[in-house]
Amino acid sequence: MGTYIVRRLLQAIPMLLLVSIVLFALVNIAPGGPMSAYSRTNRMPEEKKEAIRRKFGLDKPLPVQYIVWLVGNDWIQIDEDGDNIPDGYGTRKGILRGDFGFSYKTREPVLELIADRLPNTVYLMFFTLLFTGIVAIPIGIISAIKQYSGFDITATTLSFMGQAIPEFWLGLLLILVFYATLNNPFTGEALLPSGGMSTLGAEFSFWESIWDRAKHLILPVLMGLVGWVAWYSRFLRSSMLEVINQDYIRTARAKGQIERKVLYKHALKNALIPLVTMFALDFPYIFTGSLYAELLFSWPGMGRLFYTAATGRDYPILMAILIIGSGIVVLSNLMADIAYAYLDPRVRYS
Amino acid sequence: MNYRKSLKVLVFGLIALMLVIGATNCAPKPAEEGVAPEEPAAEEPAAEEPAAEEPAAEEPMAEKTSITILIPDNPVAFNGINTDTGYEQALGELVMLSLAEVDPNGNLYPELAVEIPTVENGGVVLDEDAWTMTATWKLREDVFWADGEQVTADDVVFTWDAMVDAGAWYAPMDYTDSVEKVDDFTVLVTFNTVFPAYTLQFGGEDVFIYPEHYCDAEAGFYEWNCDDQPLSSGPYILEEWVADDHLTFVRNPNYYESPKPYIDEVIVRIVPEEPVKQQLMLEGDADLHYWPAEPASNVYKEEGNGTKWVKSPSERWVMRLIPNLYVKGDRETPHPFLSDVRVRRALRMSIDVDTIINDIFLGYGVPVWNDFFRPPFNGCDIPRPEYDLEGAAALLEEAGWTDSDGDGIRECNGCETADAGTVMTMEYAIYAEYGESLELAQQLIAESWKSIGIDTELQIIEGAIMWAEAEDGGTEIAGLFELDMWDDGYPGTDPSDQIWTFYSSGSDWNYGHWVNEDMDTYIDEMYTVYEEDYLWAACEAAAILEEELPQILLFSTLEMHGLSDRLEGVLPSVNDPVTWNIADWTVTE
Repeated sequence: MGTYIVRRLLQAIPMLLLVSIVLFALVNIAPGGPMSAYSRTNRMPEEKKEAIRRKFGLDKPLPVQYIVWLVGNDWIQIDEDGDNIPDGYGTRKGILRGDFGFSYKTREPVLELIADRLPNTVYLMFFTLLFTGIVAIPIGIISAIKQYSGFDITATTLSFMGQAIPEFWLGLLLILVFYATLNNPFTGEALLPSGGMSTLGAEFSFWESIWDRAKHLILPVLMGLVGWVAWYSRFLRSSMLEVINQDYIRTARAKGQIERKVLYKHALKNALIPLVTMFALDFPYIFTGSLYAELLFSWPGMGRLFYTAATGRDYPILMAILIIGSGIVVLSNLMADIAYAYLDPRVRYS
Repeated sequence: MNYRKSLKVLVFGLIALMLVIGATNCAPKPAEEGVAPEEPAAEEPAAEEPAAEEPAAEEPMAEKTSITILIPDNPVAFNGINTDTGYEQALGELVMLSLAEVDPNGNLYPELAVEIPTVENGGVVLDEDAWTMTATWKLREDVFWADGEQVTADDVVFTWDAMVDAGAWYAPMDYTDSVEKVDDFTVLVTFNTVFPAYTLQFGGEDVFIYPEHYCDAEAGFYEWNCDDQPLSSGPYILEEWVADDHLTFVRNPNYYESPKPYIDEVIVRIVPEEPVKQQLMLEGDADLHYWPAEPASNVYKEEGNGTKWVKSPSERWVMRLIPNLYVKGDRETPHPFLSDVRVRRALRMSIDVDTIINDIFLGYGVPVWNDFFRPPFNGCDIPRPEYDLEGAAALLEEAGWTDSDGDGIRECNGCETADAGTVMTMEYAIYAEYGESLELAQQLIAESWKSIGIDTELQIIEGAIMWAEAEDGGTEIAGLFELDMWDDGYPGTDPSDQIWTFYSSGSDWNYGHWVNEDMDTYIDEMYTVYEEDYLWAACEAAAILEEELPQILLFSTLEMHGLSDRLEGVLPSVNDPVTWNIADWTVTE
C-alpha cells in the first residue's frame, strides 16, 4: 500500500503540472484583463499603465509569466523601469517555493488573503458535510429497508424537491421565514440572523459566543444541506437496495444473524463504498466553498474571494485557488482509492 | 475495535476543532497595531480647566451610539486613488482628511486647510504671459493624527511624492510641476498651466493626506500600511477589519472639530445581496443602505416601515450612447451611417427617455441631454430634444436611408457615407454589471429603432472586457464596437478634465474618434480660473456637442441612499461620498 501511495503521489506531480499549464493559459487567454480597472474611471496614461504591467509582470510573454509564477524570478535579472537595462534580480519565489504572488487589486500576498478566508469556509463546509452525513445516511438506509413505505415515498418526494429547488431561491426563502417573519417569542428578535458569522458589536461570554456563532451557521448550512442530503440519500438508498438483495446478505440472515447486524455490519459497509467516490468529488468544496451560501449569507469565505477575483481578473488569486483546488481533488481521489482498499477486501493495490 | 475508537476520536476531534475555529475565526484583528490614541500635546493644558467642569465626571455614562452601514463589496484600501469597488473613498472619509472638500451644492470648503486659495485672497498667483500659476495652501495648526503627532506640510508633500513615485495617476498630475513645503504649515504648488481644478488637487473624493511619520514609505503608495491600517486624522479610528465581513470604526477622541463626531461607533457590514440588505433595513438591523436599487428605494419611500430615502440635490452618472464614428476596428473608414450626424440625431429622437426613466428605472432618474447640465453650467440654454419617431424617420429618409425591399430595415439609397444597398444594422452593447434595468432600457431602445427601420444586434459585455486594454480584447479603447451604452460622470465642480477625455482630438478615451477643431479650442479655453471665461467656453462647447452629437446623453441616475428613521444629518452628494459629513450625523431613538 505504501508503494502504491508513493507512486500515486509521484504520478500526481506531472498531472498537476499539466493542469497548471492549462489553467494558466485559460485564465490568461480569456478576454478582459486586470488593467480594465484603470481604464473607465481612471484614465491612466499609457506610460503609467506600462509601469503597472511591468510591476505585475504582465509585459512578459505568457510562457515567461507562467515560468515566473511557477519558479519565481529571483534568479533572473529584471528591468523595473522599462529602459531595457536590467535593474537587479526579481523578488518572486514562485508557487513551488510557496509564493503565490500578490493580488493585483489589494497588493496583498495571495496566501494571506486565502488564509483570512479559508478557516471561515472550512468551518461552514465542514458542518454542512457533517450534517449532510448525519441526515442523509439514516434517510437512505430507512428508505431502502422500508422500500415503498410511506417514509420511503415521502423521503423520495422530498429528495426530488431538494434536488430541483434552486439553491439561491431556497436561501432567500429561509431568510424571509427565519429572519424577516419568525421571531424569538422570548426576546422578540428575529429567530435567526440573516447573515454574517457573528453578531457585530455585541459582548458575549464564551458560551454565548458559541451559541451566537451556531445560530449564524444554521441558515447557510441548511441551504447547502438540502441539495446534498437529497443526492446522498437517494444514492445510498439505491446502493443499499442493491446490496441487501445480494446472496451474502441472504446468507448472513440464513445463518441467524440479527437483522441490525446484517444491515449495519454487512449491508451498510458495502453500500457506503460508492458513496466514497461521491464524497471524494465533494470534498474539495471544503476548500473552495459554496458561492451562493457565501453571497447570500454574507459569509466571508473562499467562494466570494474566487468570485471577485474572477470578475476583476485578479489572476494570482484565481490561479492560487484553482491550483490548490486541483491539488485537493487529486488528493481526495487518492484518499478515496485508499478507502476503497479498506472497505472492500477485494480491492488490492500493489 | 481500535480502528473504531480511533475513528470516533478523529470525528469528535474534528468537530471540536471546527467549534474552536468557529469561536475564534472572526476574532478582531487590531487595525492599528501599537497606535493607541493619545491626547495631543496641544490639549494637555486641559488639566487647568476651571473646576466648574469637574462635576461632569459624576454624570451617568451616556449610552453608546452605533450605526450600521451596508455596502456590497470589500473595499480594497483606504485610498481614493487605488480604488476598485467604489467604497474606498466612502470609508476613507471616516478616517482621513483632505485639504479641501466640496459640499453637495458644489461649494468648496477647507478641511485641513485654513482657507481655499484664490486669486482674490492672494493664494493663487497667475503668470498671464506664460499661462501658468501657483497655489499656496495654509494648513490648520490644530489637527492631529490619532497618535498625537501634528498634521503638517510635510505630510502633504509626502503624500504627493508617494503618489508620484509609485506611478499613481490622477488628472492634476499632468498639470503639476512641483509641490513644496514653505514652512510647517504652508505648501506651494506650481502648475505648468492654469488649472481650474487645483482646488481639489488634495481633496475631493480621491485624495487624502497621509502621515509621513507613520506610513511605510519604503513599501510604496500601493503596498504601504496606511491603506489597510490607516492612522486617523478624521472623525473615526478603524478598530477592526474582517475582510469580506465588516469594518468597525470608533470615535476619534482627538478629532479637531470636537465634540464631533456625535455617533460613537460605525459598523460597516459587507452584504453582497440586495434583498438581504433591504430586509436588514426593514428589521432595524442597519441604518444606511448604500446605493439601493430602484425597487428597494420604493420600499424606503413608504411611510411607517422604519426607513426613509434621501437623494443628492444634483446628479452625476449620465447614461450615454457612444457611437463609433468609424468602422469597428478600423480607424480610417467612416462608419456607414453612424458617421452621419443626421443618423445620430434620428437615433436620439427615437428614444423615449421618459418611459425609460419612469417605467424601467421606476422614476429614479432625470433626463440629461448635454454634458454641461450641472450648476453652474446648466444655464447654457440647450433645449431638451423631443421624442419624435416620425421626425426621426424623416431624418433618416433625408440622409438617404430608406427601406426599398420592404423587409422593415433601411438600406442606403442615396446616402453619403456608404455604398448603395448597405443595410442599416449595427451592434449595440451595454455592460453586464449594471444589471436588469440597463438590459431592459437597451431592449426598449432597440425596439424603438426597429420601428423606424434600424436593426441592432444586442450585446451584453463584461466590464472587465469592455474597458480592458486593447491587447486584452478591450472593446472601447481598441474601437471594437459600433454603439455602446454606459454611464459616466465627473466628481467635484470642474468638468474640464472629463470633457477633454471624451471629446478632445488628442485623447485616447475619445472612444468614438470624433474630431472637431473648434471643440479643441473651447476645451483649451476652459482651463482658466476666471469663472466668466470658463462659463463662456463651456457654453460654446455645449453648443458644438449639441450640433454634432458625438455622444447621445439620455438620463442621469440618482445618487440615493436608504436610511433608518433614526439616522439624521445624512446629505448625499455627487461631489463626494455620502460619508463626507459623517461627523455631523446623529441618531435619535
